[in-house]
Amino acid sequence: MTSRLMFRVLAALIAFTVLGRIPVGFDVGFKFDAALAVIWAFGLLSLVLLTGYVGQISLCQATFAGVGAYAAGLMVAGFHADYMVAVLVGVAAAFALGVIVGIPALRLRGITLAIVTLGIALVFDRYVFQDHAFEWFTGGSAGWRVDHATMFGLQMDSSKHLMAAYVVLLALFCVVALLMVNLHDSGAGRRLRAIRDSEVAAATMGVNLTRYKLLAFGMSAAIAGLGGSFYPLVAGSVSPQPFWLFTSLQFAAIAVLMGVRYVPAAALGGVFMAVVPDVLTRFGHGTFMGHAYEISYDWFQIAVGVLLIVQLIALPDGVWGDLRARARHAWSAAGVLGGRKVKVA
Amino acid sequence: MGAFAAYTIIGLGLGGIFSLAALGIVLIYRTTGVLNFAHGAMGMFSTFVAWQVFYGWSHPFWPTWLATLLAVVVGLIFAALMGLALEFAVFRWVRTREPVVKAVITIGVLLALQSAASLIWKNNQYHLPIYLAPQQATFQLAGVPIGANYIVIVVMALGLAFGLGAFLRYTSFGRSMRAVSDSPTSASLWGVPVNRVSAVSWMLGSLVAALAGILITPFINFDTTSLTLLIIDALAAALIGGLVSLPLTVLGGFLLGLLETYPTIWIQSLGFPRLVALLVIIAVLIVRNPRGFAVAAK
Repeated sequence: MTSRLMFRVLAALIAFTVLGRIPVGFDVGFKFDAALAVIWAFGLLSLVLLTGYVGQISLCQATFAGVGAYAAGLMVAGFHADYMVAVLVGVAAAFALGVIVGIPALRLRGITLAIVTLGIALVFDRYVFQDHAFEWFTGGSAGWRVDHATMFGLQMDSSKHLMAAYVVLLALFCVVALLMVNLHDSGAGRRLRAIRDSEVAAATMGVNLTRYKLLAFGMSAAIAGLGGSFYPLVAGSVSPQPFWLFTSLQFAAIAVLMGVRYVPAAALGGVFMAVVPDVLTRFGHGTFMGHAYEISYDWFQIAVGVLLIVQLIALPDGVWGDLRARARHAWSAAGVLGGRKVKVA
Repeated sequence: MGAFAAYTIIGLGLGGIFSLAALGIVLIYRTTGVLNFAHGAMGMFSTFVAWQVFYGWSHPFWPTWLATLLAVVVGLIFAALMGLALEFAVFRWVRTREPVVKAVITIGVLLALQSAASLIWKNNQYHLPIYLAPQQATFQLAGVPIGANYIVIVVMALGLAFGLGAFLRYTSFGRSMRAVSDSPTSASLWGVPVNRVSAVSWMLGSLVAALAGILITPFINFDTTSLTLLIIDALAAALIGGLVSLPLTVLGGFLLGLLETYPTIWIQSLGFPRLVALLVIIAVLIVRNPRGFAVAAK
């Protein structure tokens, strides 16, 4: 084990220990936010793989999460399976859809791929998740209700065992994030990044474009689906609303805003996406200088849009990327790293 | 046979809607190289401004035609100003960036406009439409009654396509617009005012979006999301025109309208037309060489 890998494992363990304890003292609403933050962070992490590493744009990541959520809901509510089995089925369903979406992506890139994925997100939002023809999958207009779930044979009710669900989600996120960071410098990761920089050059170097692009789409969808398949457990039911088109657009916007090339940015974005709107709507009302005001969810989405525009103009590498560059600059300016090749003791 | 004719008429009306929405996308893409995902949202916002003038601020003693005229004029002026503001505040700063970055930035515009509208005019709420022609007026064609508003839409779509096409081709300003889209640097070396051309492109695009939005209101469930989501049908029509050709875009819009309408004879589903639009998009992209778009995307 190299020292670099050891450092990363240690960082993941510390992050897990610290983050796992944070929601303990808070009320149920914030515990729900914490679990939701990890679910959204999975969605953003899937874009780090697909857009940050492989350079493929996708506007349907919430669709993959939604397919995972519905498949898991179907397994638990329809077949009374153990929740871990449901998660596996959800991930498999999302992976399969990701590979299917990846097929047109073999020929497309850039804005045309954005158009196709936008269309897929809209078809699932308006048709698959809402139409009578797919009731066997979506559980009808009421969706699946997950009241009594078991995980590893243990009772897991959504309201009572929110913390347990959160800890499981967080552990899985830390593992996947660690794998993602390691993927970046591995042989497969280099091949994926070669596709991002130039498909022609990558193919010339012997990278199998078909295999790696399909794999990237499948893996990305699986990551989003892994988060989504926990949604029924956390929320107690599945409905189309959390996975509609605008969530997909928010995924793309927030992933880019936070820095689409960096794994920690996904965690940051997940917290931003789940906690900020809840805090705004919960505490954002009262009177200011004699005027009653109330901050609704719309303000959050306006902020996302405006921040994305400002970020793309001013900080192209995203919030995390910019902070990272500044920190490194300050670090080396302080003389800690010295010159480029100088090792510290 | 009568039912088939009726569905054809409905499909052509729907196609006119798609064509109108797609024309603005093609115009902006051709002249600025930005694939505008926020086109529907921009049209939606201006349409709601017109709606506000018509239903909120018009005086009850005014005749309907005056209120309608005022609403449309105010909506269009607002649209032009919004296009100008967006160009100054946003798109001027990303002119040299990659097409994908420009497209993602329009998603930011979409999210902001969409939420601002739902903040002001409330989301998922039925709004009364604005009728340009009298609501009850119909014409008989082959025994099928056709609403006057349908005819207005079809005529406007055709007129705008050929009008804009002629403007781009035969006027000197249109030529400078095309020059800027080919290469901003060499256009500016030839003395073309690039900033002004870009600003006019955005004003014009926003204007077309608003016009489409106002014309469409009687035919859709008029709320803040439905006009924004029309973007996917509009993009399908625009892709049929290769994101370049205005007449082909209008043709594509009508074709898509018919393709989305005929299945509703057998399948009663609100979401199924979206699937048709997606299949059309994929088919067009697979058949046409996708790299053909990249050349126009400069």
